[in-house]
Amino acid sequence: MREVVVLGVGQSVFGKLPDRSAVSLGVEAASKAIKDAGIKPSDIQVAYTSRMLNAGTDSQKILKDVGVVGIEMFNVENACAGGSTAVHGVWKDISYGLYDVGIAIGVESFDRTGPGTTLLAAKEDLEAELGMTMPAKFALLARRQMAECGATIEDFAHVSVKNHHHGCLNPMAQYQKEFTIEEVVSSKMICDPITLLQCCPQTDGAAAVVLCSIEVARKHTINPVKIIGAALQSGDHKHKQKDIWLSPFGAKTANMAYEMAGVGPDDIDLVEMHDAFACEEIVRYEDLGLCKRGEGVKLLRSGATELGGRIPVNPSGGLLSLGHPLSASGVRVVAEVALHLQGRAGKRQVEGAKVGLAHMLGGAVTGLEGGACGIHILAR
Amino acid sequence: MAERKPFHEGLFKEGPDGGALLGSKCTSCGHVFYPPTGRCLECGHEELTEIELSRRGALYTYTIGYMPTSHFMPPYALGEIDLPEGVRVFAPLEMTEAKPFEVGQDVELVIGKLWEEGGKDIIGYKFKIV
Repeated sequence: MREVVVLGVGQSVFGKLPDRSAVSLGVEAASKAIKDAGIKPSDIQVAYTSRMLNAGTDSQKILKDVGVVGIEMFNVENACAGGSTAVHGVWKDISYGLYDVGIAIGVESFDRTGPGTTLLAAKEDLEAELGMTMPAKFALLARRQMAECGATIEDFAHVSVKNHHHGCLNPMAQYQKEFTIEEVVSSKMICDPITLLQCCPQTDGAAAVVLCSIEVARKHTINPVKIIGAALQSGDHKHKQKDIWLSPFGAKTANMAYEMAGVGPDDIDLVEMHDAFACEEIVRYEDLGLCKRGEGVKLLRSGATELGGRIPVNPSGGLLSLGHPLSASGVRVVAEVALHLQGRAGKRQVEGAKVGLAHMLGGAVTGLEGGACGIHILAR
Repeated sequence: MAERKPFHEGLFKEGPDGGALLGSKCTSCGHVFYPPTGRCLECGHEELTEIELSRRGALYTYTIGYMPTSHFMPPYALGEIDLPEGVRVFAPLEMTEAKPFEVGQDVELVIGKLWEEGGKDIIGYKFKIV
């Protein structure tokens, strides 16, 4: 296995963009990443693109307008972890010596022409038919966190306030607005106890990263950002999960990535993670070992996960504020961590960041703890 | 009277006692599963027997939804229920204004109409506070 470097990153603006096609968003992100990498489109040897809604041969559609055709291309999906899956695919191919340069793209565009807003639910899934939507899944989790871990709705709101504050520092964010705890708690109720401002928005957007081998990287940069740990895992049977606020597969994926990287949670300088619903950020602190099991609320309340704190989480604004184009987020978190390690994160820069962790998870499947979890640890 | 159709075959039976959910019990390790499965998810054994699950359980967690789904108009309640056989079932909950939900409440199975489709009453299951 060879060392793999994040050579270039790019993303489109995230937001409600009904006049932009998904392909045009993908072209924007991919072009920016290739330019950022300082390579020619013809240098790309392999591509993985992730998209969930209205997907279909998106690698080909996007890359032909970027000047890349004919190479080996994959189109992947793993719900909100699709982007991580795309990154993982390129990482694997380069790591195992199959290729030297590749691109991972994630793109999502919501169909906003339908009548009103109905919560998305998987087709042909038993629990989905009975009302299991993403907000419901996390509302059921939030209620257990309140019953078992001493979490309050103000704690959930605190996550949202923190991430919206970070979003104000990110010019790409869908929402660049400060909120108070009171405003979050009293926003429209979606699925008790989850209110609107505890949910990520529906976002259109794309992100892309160019990865390459260490040999190629040395021709372009003296300070390569390497992927030192990578893991993609799927949920185990739900009946094995003692309590839904304990996420065994989240912890397992994290431990695999840490072991490969040869670092531990204490070495991490920043984390970008799945915060589609504010309550779950607290659970992820524990999955990733940023604190002991059951102490996620304590970590949040200590301020440690704010910019300027010991271990900033979601300095980009996260899914809550930056936005969540489903399949793009997994790529975007890798791009964001790379920016911080290169000192290019502008006003939201985590000072002196050397090691960062990018986490994304997705999917609700009856009988399983979850769909997929993808974690990539980067270091310079 | 509208025609009745179960939303899924093989998940529950109706009856004068109120019916029951149908699970699978492994003939090798004894583990019980819902929904029914043809293969033990614990030990891999491929012989399981059909078992009627207890009608009563404990409310493990719940939520009340305020945005429509494909089948339910708000407000609607959803929960996960722990049954004595060691299974945790996700199901809609019957809402009553008088009694709010609480984690740990005793709840009981109700088989009945969940929604309408193609002019038929679609039958399924939910739980209500006892």
